[in-house]
Amino acid sequence: MKRIEAIIRPSKLDEVKERLMTLGITGLTVSEVKGFGRQKGHTEMYRGTEYTVDFLPKILITIVVAEDLVDPIAKAIADSARTGKIGDGKIFVSSLDEVMRIRTGERGSSAI
Amino acid sequence: MPNVSLRRPKLWLLKAVLAILFAQWLCGPVLVALADDPQPDPAGISTGDKASTSDAGGNSFILTEPTDKTASDYAKNKKAFDEFQAQAAKEPLAMKLADNVGHLRISTNFSWTLLTGYLVLFMQAGFALLTCGLVRKKNAGHLMMLNFAAYVFAFLAYYVCGFAFQYGGAAINAAPTNLGGTPTLNHFLLGGGLWGFLGGKGFFLSGPGYDAGSLCLTLFEVVFMETAGYIIVGAICERITFWAFILCELFMGAILYPSFGCWVWGGGWMSQLGNTMGLAHGYVDFAGSTVVHGVGGFAAMALAIILGPRLGKYGPDGKPRAFPAHNLAFVVVGTFILLFGWMGFNPGSTLGASDLRISVIAVNTNLSAVAGSATAMFLWYYMFGKPDITMACNGMLAGLVAITAPCAFVSPNSSVVIGILAGIVVCLGVLFNERVIKVDDPCGAISVHGYCGWLGAVCVGIFADGTYGAGWNGVGATTYLGKAGQGVTGLLYGDYRQFFTQLGGATFMALYIFGFTYLVFSLVNSASSMRVSKEVELEGLDVPEFGMEAYPEDRVEMIAPGAQVARA
Repeated sequence: MKRIEAIIRPSKLDEVKERLMTLGITGLTVSEVKGFGRQKGHTEMYRGTEYTVDFLPKILITIVVAEDLVDPIAKAIADSARTGKIGDGKIFVSSLDEVMRIRTGERGSSAI
Repeated sequence: MPNVSLRRPKLWLLKAVLAILFAQWLCGPVLVALADDPQPDPAGISTGDKASTSDAGGNSFILTEPTDKTASDYAKNKKAFDEFQAQAAKEPLAMKLADNVGHLRISTNFSWTLLTGYLVLFMQAGFALLTCGLVRKKNAGHLMMLNFAAYVFAFLAYYVCGFAFQYGGAAINAAPTNLGGTPTLNHFLLGGGLWGFLGGKGFFLSGPGYDAGSLCLTLFEVVFMETAGYIIVGAICERITFWAFILCELFMGAILYPSFGCWVWGGGWMSQLGNTMGLAHGYVDFAGSTVVHGVGGFAAMALAIILGPRLGKYGPDGKPRAFPAHNLAFVVVGTFILLFGWMGFNPGSTLGASDLRISVIAVNTNLSAVAGSATAMFLWYYMFGKPDITMACNGMLAGLVAITAPCAFVSPNSSVVIGILAGIVVCLGVLFNERVIKVDDPCGAISVHGYCGWLGAVCVGIFADGTYGAGWNGVGATTYLGKAGQGVTGLLYGDYRQFFTQLGGATFMALYIFGFTYLVFSLVNSASSMRVSKEVELEGLDVPEFGMEAYPEDRVEMIAPGAQVARA
């Protein structure tokens, strides 16, 4: 089992979700997050005074999948979330030790 | 939890309330009008008779007997009076009809004055939304409570003595004839004649103040005073304690606003400068650019300086930092409510719908508002590359504040120019406060109401075109500048004295209001700090001051409150 975490632009969430649905994923968790990467922050003006926005709003998607699905899913996320401009985000893949479905108590890949 | 003192009963407060109630009980019989004084008319059945009947030009239906036998036109007036008497004796039905017409005229004016007063009252909702939207989320509840308490406490102070101080001598030099003249308000506590300094009738709105005409004036004027009371909130919010704020409002409603209001509107010395010193029509402020907005704005400035800037507003390098508004929808809706309320503020200040200048006033007011807003948008775009939503709103309010004094005396074209000037002044004023003198004013109240209020009064002296206000403040009732019916006239139309009167009067207002407020509240602040503690300010004032927050759902544990109980 693998956990895929992708940080994407908020405006790309719908596109990414639709593409992932076509791949038959069974679940998806979305969080609103803030942070910066190479894109850094930017400065804005409020009543004549400059202020910097260091942490930009992003969306964090978390999906847990069987190992053989990692590549197509990562590729689907990358394809659908890309604009080609700085700030498109990143995808992290890591191993997962255990999963448990709270309702039934199932464990392992059948709980995904 | 800091600030536990809030929960302790304030014994001195209880004593003060009891003392006031006792004083009122004592004053009631004492203040009832003396036998030779005009009797109050609480039922409103003898306010408005044939003496109130007049034609469109304001010429009274009734002719009064001329008394000054040395006057050059005595013979002519005496002949007219005798003819009128003879006719009146022949036509009793006409005199009875005149009584009815006069009563109807006063009734129309009562309706207008009360209705526009209610519109001004609604401006309080606009101020609450505007200022709440402009502060940070963590102080939103505190801000709303300040706005709310301002209405409550300043109103009570105005009831106790504010109205009496302001209008207690109105009938002497500034009788509101549109409301029947309020003859019972005829005494100055300080000064007298053309040099009135403080009114002296109508304390606790009892005795001479318990009169239909007088109370109509009270309703309209108390909401004006409340406007000044609200203005200060914009500059002192996010750091003042609730108790200090209540003191500010009591001071505003009891003495600060009424004193200046008496001098300009209550027949006091500034309004009579034309009669006493030959200064044109005296100091003229139609609906309160200085009397209301200037007073609020410069009191706000003094309080903001005493309190100091919010924590973190200025970095160690002395550069200002932005604390962006938390709800722009509130800001825009609040501004529109204020614009709507201003349709009562300015046209209502005629105190009567029988004065048809009200349509001109309403259009002028709107024109200046939109010109001010457009100017602020373009100026900000030119200076910073983007128009600022909050400054666009401030620009509209600046135009409104600046047109408030001249609205009745100027043409629509001049109103646009006044709006443009106000739009420039408010933008530069906000930057000046923030960058040069470093006075922290979260909502721009000082610039909008103080600086533009001053500008508005000066604009009367520049743009007044003489078409309205003949006989204003008792000057030039028959002719002015050699012309019959010539009203208040500004520099551009040939009366430089009006300009200098306005310039001097408005500047004096700024110094007096700032100085008086600064003096009183420096003393208060040195006795007991008016500012919340550092921890409270960082956490946000909502919970430490009132035990609740404006947006409790923002806390994780408040996402589903009561869910456990509901399941059990």
